[in-house]
Amino acid sequence: MSVLGVPILEGLYPSTMDLYPLEAKEFNRIHPFYENLRQKRFTTTKCKKCGSEPFPPRVVCPKCNSDDLEWVDLPTEGKVLRFTEEVAGVPLGFESPLIHALVDLGGGRKLISRVVNCKEGELKEGAAVKLAVFDIPPMIIEKKGVMAEAERVFFAFEPVKK
Amino acid sequence: MAEVAIVGVGQSVFSRDCGVSIRELSFEAFKEAMEGLDITTGDIDASIICSAPEYDKQRSPAGLISEYLELTPKPSFYVETVCSSSSTGLRIAWSLVKAGLHKVVAVIGFQKMSELSSRDAAERMGRGADIIWESPFGLTMPAGYAMYARAHMAKYGTTEEHLAKVRVKNSHYGAANPKATYRKELGLEDILNSEVITSPLKKFDCCANADGASCIIVARGDVAKGITQVPVWIIGLGAATDTMTMAGRKSLTGLECAKEAGKQAYKMAGLKPQDIDVAEVHDCFTVSEILAYEDLGFAKPGEGVGLIEDKQTYADGKIPVNVDGGLLSKGHPIGATGGSQVRTIVRQLRRQATEAQVKGAEVGLVHNIGGIGQYGNVTILRR
Repeated sequence: MSVLGVPILEGLYPSTMDLYPLEAKEFNRIHPFYENLRQKRFTTTKCKKCGSEPFPPRVVCPKCNSDDLEWVDLPTEGKVLRFTEEVAGVPLGFESPLIHALVDLGGGRKLISRVVNCKEGELKEGAAVKLAVFDIPPMIIEKKGVMAEAERVFFAFEPVKK
Repeated sequence: MAEVAIVGVGQSVFSRDCGVSIRELSFEAFKEAMEGLDITTGDIDASIICSAPEYDKQRSPAGLISEYLELTPKPSFYVETVCSSSSTGLRIAWSLVKAGLHKVVAVIGFQKMSELSSRDAAERMGRGADIIWESPFGLTMPAGYAMYARAHMAKYGTTEEHLAKVRVKNSHYGAANPKATYRKELGLEDILNSEVITSPLKKFDCCANADGASCIIVARGDVAKGITQVPVWIIGLGAATDTMTMAGRKSLTGLECAKEAGKQAYKMAGLKPQDIDVAEVHDCFTVSEILAYEDLGFAKPGEGVGLIEDKQTYADGKIPVNVDGGLLSKGHPIGATGGSQVRTIVRQLRRQATEAQVKGAEVGLVHNIGGIGQYGNVTILRR
């Protein structure tokens, strides 16, 4: 198995050298984020007690320490505030141009994302972008001595085609 | 009077290909730091080893370097704040001495990056971002600072030419620094015409990965005077953090961690920005030096470019900055960088600078940033 992000390792040491998160429910409590992502939903947690709605999602509210949280949907379209097109020396496992953007999702919420399906020179500040969900290589995990593959997805944003 | 002093400083030659192992590289810096001191290795009570761990096969390098430098059985431990690791090491050395636990402490920073291809190094560097939420995009330091550059340009009208002028200055001084990786003077056109790395940053807007080591010997005030004739006093220390995620930043036009660390250091030293005679700032990219002018109060927000336009950060200017060539010329061996900056300021205050001596320098400042503005460290020294 080739692990995206670390091709030279060809599947060796995937748990520490793989660049993507452990998404399976056995390994983290924000697994609903990835399950929702698979349904093309971009979600985070909202505190039922104080209403705080941070991104990334939490398991305990950072404002009031309550653990009574619910999953809520975030916008899946936003606007590019700043971006850079990385064309030389991109990290191993990535291809040029590697485009990064600060995306405004509205309501004071900003996030950093890669912009995919976009050629060099195409993107402009202020451009509309939307959520893009794609498969990434599965994670090899060992459960009770049995090796299994955990399916995974990840996200980026892509230009909204007019 | 300040009670903790720097008695010795050293660094290896910074290069793209040192051809030695990390232990040998570290010894080179340690050897220079110990030159001319009235102590021997056995008088060092503790050592703090500083680097970013992702570039080495070696784990737990403190034990290794402690043995190689023959510092064993004295305590030794490892500290990391990415590119500002050795400034963090200096902060801890200060507190160990101040607390009375040790009299003499060595802070040794190192990094050997030439064992990796630059794309492999970039991938590992990218793991210094949030590993779940931002590293998987392939986000690295150049791309992060490129977005800071874009934001500064959009808000204040900063241009690529303004940024290039920082490199013109730093390459001028770097050409005279025998420890620097790049010793070639560059003109404005060389920089503006260099290949794009990550827009708007071009090749010569970026510092290079390098191999190198640095060493700072810190001592309690009363013993410092018996160790060296010219102790340099640590009079201000500031350290702060900003969010690990770039998405969490208040703005991209300045580094909040640097502003906060600067504020703390000025307060502790009882000084203002205009009291600083010479400064070393973390110019990992040309834009980073402009941000530093503003974050440290050498210029008002948005007016940093005025300092480089008017050549006020040259050796004979109002506030000389990076007159040893900066990271842009010296190269940036992550864990060694802060110690190298401190070495330059100590040499300036001792009137030993060989690249360009700032006349009558009494107070110097070191600004050392970890990651894309995650860790801010400001240190103020007085002769």
